[in-house]
Amino acid sequence: MKYEITIGIECHVQLKTKTKLFSEVDNDAREKEPNSCVSPVDYALPGVLPRLNKEAVSLAVRAGYALNSEINLYSRFDRKHYYYPDLPKGYQISQFYHPIIGAGFIELPNGTKVRIEHAHMEEDAGKLTHFSNYSLVDLNRAGTPLIEIVSMPDIHSATDARDYCKELWRAMTYAGVTYGDLYNGNMRFDVNISLAPEGAKELGRRAEIKNLNSFRSVERAVEYEYERQSKILDAGERVKQETRGWNDATGKTTSQRSKEEAQDYRYMPEPDIPPIRLTPEFVKEEQAKVGLLPRDYRKMFKGIIQDDILEVLLDYQPLMDCLWQCAGGSFEGPKTRPSGPERPEKELPDIAKSHLKRIANWFSSVLLAEEKSYEMLNDLPSSKQLDDLAEMTEKQELSSTGAKEVFTKLFDPQMKNKGAKDIAKELNVLQENDTGALEKIVDEVLSDPACAKAVADYKAGQEKVLGFLVGQVMKASKGKANPGAAQQILKNKLK
Amino acid sequence: MDITREQIDHLAELSDFKLEEAEKESLRGDLENIIKYISELDSLDTEGIEPTYQVFEMENVWREDEILPQDADREKLLKTAPAFHGKEGVEDYQIKVPKVL
Repeated sequence: MKYEITIGIECHVQLKTKTKLFSEVDNDAREKEPNSCVSPVDYALPGVLPRLNKEAVSLAVRAGYALNSEINLYSRFDRKHYYYPDLPKGYQISQFYHPIIGAGFIELPNGTKVRIEHAHMEEDAGKLTHFSNYSLVDLNRAGTPLIEIVSMPDIHSATDARDYCKELWRAMTYAGVTYGDLYNGNMRFDVNISLAPEGAKELGRRAEIKNLNSFRSVERAVEYEYERQSKILDAGERVKQETRGWNDATGKTTSQRSKEEAQDYRYMPEPDIPPIRLTPEFVKEEQAKVGLLPRDYRKMFKGIIQDDILEVLLDYQPLMDCLWQCAGGSFEGPKTRPSGPERPEKELPDIAKSHLKRIANWFSSVLLAEEKSYEMLNDLPSSKQLDDLAEMTEKQELSSTGAKEVFTKLFDPQMKNKGAKDIAKELNVLQENDTGALEKIVDEVLSDPACAKAVADYKAGQEKVLGFLVGQVMKASKGKANPGAAQQILKNKLK
Repeated sequence: MDITREQIDHLAELSDFKLEEAEKESLRGDLENIIKYISELDSLDTEGIEPTYQVFEMENVWREDEILPQDADREKLLKTAPAFHGKEGVEDYQIKVPKVL
């Protein structure tokens, strides 16, 4: 039978605050020894009082903006009880009844809108490592501020699931609320998947695949679950509602614990942390600190930069910022909202569009093809250098090969401080466009006895030999002639 | 409100407590008494009254995002755990618990 798949995704995002959500210790535990970023609050020693980190609230408000969400001016914390060694308190401080971020949506590159149910703040748990007869606990991560983004079940394919996760990652990193380092678990995805016969009104029972940390594994896990659940349903059985884990090496999901007995978290209001009441002014101020988001860039560059290239480049915020500067925008400061032609209300002139297109193409086909492109992204050429290069290419002062050469040198530590034109001169790749000079070279070639036969052939109607003659002009000019111009002059002279 | 043995078992499981049969019965009685005592509040008419989430009418109690020195360091905190690893290679400075999962 054919089944329709329905997917809802919960995403945990670690916020990039300096300190934890409720304690004043270092929140960045990368490369730190186990249990070195901990406080009595993280250990849940008796009598400690958690104190809310205001920056986490600010970042949550900015995240809400990137999610197209309303911010709930009133929100508060609740205790979610469960007993596990990664959580010394025996409960997690979360927001169950009054989350800070309300309903919103994320638009996928293909136009599909995935609604956000809500997003709430909570604390992360510690890290467990399992050994044969014991487990070890590192509480460095316990108390790291998270927002959990809960989507509506609006996703109906593996690729949309992947695209949604990627789009969330882009939105959160562009908004500057997380480092977005997936390898280190800065964003983790729980994917709920259910199948129902096509056209059925009711959803099937779902399995939840926990803790996926790459877009690819989200996509593969959904594909695997579709196959697995289809087989169960085809056999006339029911899918078990359970939590499953993903094994990247085997490409399979496996049962972790069944949810026969519904989880009993016994939520209760957190009495230690007074509620949050925000003013509309505070929300506005925080959201004004968010720079341009993927949705802004799409709006701006659509129809200027080819869709598939734009989508590739959107993975790299520095490239989008750079393109935006090339389009005439500027940044007022690292944390302030950029100014300039944010929305293409003022239509860009054609010449600017054509330059942007060229620059985007160099980014995707030259820069991103470089082995060390990741490092190169940190030190991009200036918009002036890129624009000059685009203009020279536009005017055919450079061949496309020459342009790529100059483009590469814009990243060369020895040359990157020079103008694009100076580099082109230094590399000797400027094309000869001066018609006078070109005509002289063409005349020389045409009067060369070695070319007499070709000239005669051409005049006899063999137009193919024109290529040979252009080649001779290129040779005589030491490769600097503009082949198009040379061809035109040759044609005129041979009429 | 009566507390059943099943509820005691459920609560014990949620808290990962291993209880002896005798303890279960005694806890069941204690819990029933506590609930009975608290249930006197049920006699009040709370129709239309907003629940009280906290008694101090404070809002926005928050702090700046600054790392501060802590009273207790890693060694002191580790010693509060029933078992832990000291400096022992890759398993350095971790709390040791019975195998889970």
